[in-house]
Amino acid sequence: MVPIVKISNLDKYFGRLHVLKNISLEVPPRQVVCLIGRSGSGKSTLLRCINFLEEPSRGSIEVDGIHVSGGEKGKEHRRLIHEVRLKTGMVFQEFNLFPHMTVLENVIEGPVIVKGMDKAKAIEIAKMNLDRVDMLWKKDEYPMRLSGGQKQRVAIARALTMEPKVMLFDEPTSALDPELIGEVLNVMKKVAQEGMTMIVVTHEMGFAREVADRVLVMGEGELIEDAKPSDLFTNPKDPRTKALIDRYRSEEQ
Amino acid sequence: MNIFSKAQDAPKSQAELIYELQARKERHFRANVGLSWFILLFILVFTFSGQEITIGSTTFSGIKVDTEFIRNNLTFIAGGLGETIRISIMSIVLAMILALLAALGRLSTFPPIYALSTFYVSLIRGTPLYLQIFFFFLALPQLGIILPGIIAGVLALGLNYGAYMSEIFRAGLSSVGKGQREAAIALGMTPTQTMRRVILPQALRFAIPPVGNEFIAMTKDSALVSATGFVHELMWRSTKVGRAQFHNLEALIMAAMFYWGLTLILTYIQSVIEKRLAKGDR
Repeated sequence: MVPIVKISNLDKYFGRLHVLKNISLEVPPRQVVCLIGRSGSGKSTLLRCINFLEEPSRGSIEVDGIHVSGGEKGKEHRRLIHEVRLKTGMVFQEFNLFPHMTVLENVIEGPVIVKGMDKAKAIEIAKMNLDRVDMLWKKDEYPMRLSGGQKQRVAIARALTMEPKVMLFDEPTSALDPELIGEVLNVMKKVAQEGMTMIVVTHEMGFAREVADRVLVMGEGELIEDAKPSDLFTNPKDPRTKALIDRYRSEEQ
Repeated sequence: MNIFSKAQDAPKSQAELIYELQARKERHFRANVGLSWFILLFILVFTFSGQEITIGSTTFSGIKVDTEFIRNNLTFIAGGLGETIRISIMSIVLAMILALLAALGRLSTFPPIYALSTFYVSLIRGTPLYLQIFFFFLALPQLGIILPGIIAGVLALGLNYGAYMSEIFRAGLSSVGKGQREAAIALGMTPTQTMRRVILPQALRFAIPPVGNEFIAMTKDSALVSATGFVHELMWRSTKVGRAQFHNLEALIMAAMFYWGLTLILTYIQSVIEKRLAKGDR
């Protein structure tokens, strides 16, 4: 099957620091991939390279047939990055809703401003997506009046309304109070079940085990393991993966 | 069956008692401040009343001001109020535009734009406002550029305040977190769309209260423009009649009262706006 996301020989440096080392990866349509690893392992950076929030130093990214090489400059390069961003939706750890807009305004902002969509049509799609995350009832509130979990659900609806080919989640539950994590994970699970391709950077091992089709483990800027969750959790190969899973098991008890 | 009356009869909890004590202290303090203000105001009025007051064995006598002069010139001086407000509004609008451009210039990665912005701020902040006003009125005519009084005044005040206010807008722009920019570009917004739709609205909201302060300060600095003799605002009018009839004391007191009153009104309006902003989002 033609992959939706294809990362080839990706390198990323922050100054002299080599944070991503020759990473290659293919994600087929409808697959849910969880990226786990210790903090500082490069998993967020890898995710942010996919929509060029970080410019890769070397290698290339391909999203739904749009091929962009890292480290280039110029108008054509910027146009391709724009194409890639239209095909990716992103959800951030800190939600990053626009505080000066209501929930509905946040969600229609992308389609209306970026795609030039008719406002009535955008509202229609936005309402459908707000309903999907069960936040339609708060459509006229400002983000300040929402809980963290509600904000993150709106952020998911905002990304979905751009009708992306792949959703990127950057530690979507790490900034949440423990009792609010569940509602966000449930929404993500629902989006996954509806067939969205998802790449999720997370510390939520339970979610990885239950929802992911595939778990990637990163360590020191490299992909150290790539397995089905059932295999990974019962039979981790790399000692670093084993350490991660042991810690998860001890926290579970 | 009234549950509310029941609750009232119940003994007060310790937290309630502490809260009430604090609230009483606060009210007490405010009442005393208000009373002290009233006494200070009374002393001020008495000082210029020409009346005598005897406390114990000491007699205080107020300065006699010429009330007839005040009555005769009240409308003339008050007539400058409109001009003071007009020049201040025009200047603050110019200043806001310049300040925003200068603040955006500081964000530019294009060296000439960055340089232009810092050069402007440095030059204006490095020279006196009084000099800048005279530059527009007195130096430009030597080059054959003769500006109408109000235009020259607005240019001088606007340029000056623009340089100082650029810091306000810079702070406003940097108050918007980098996550906001990332969310906008992840949606596919161009840098211009990101600035216009996401960064600027938040930065401007942040800037409203300090811009209000600057406006209040400007209504008073606009008095400097009177020195040139071409803008007939409050200060110009009061010195004109004061000097002509040697009643500078009365004339300046009158102007001072107008400025003070204007400041009080503007400060009140600003506090209302700030409260409304605080009630909004964020």
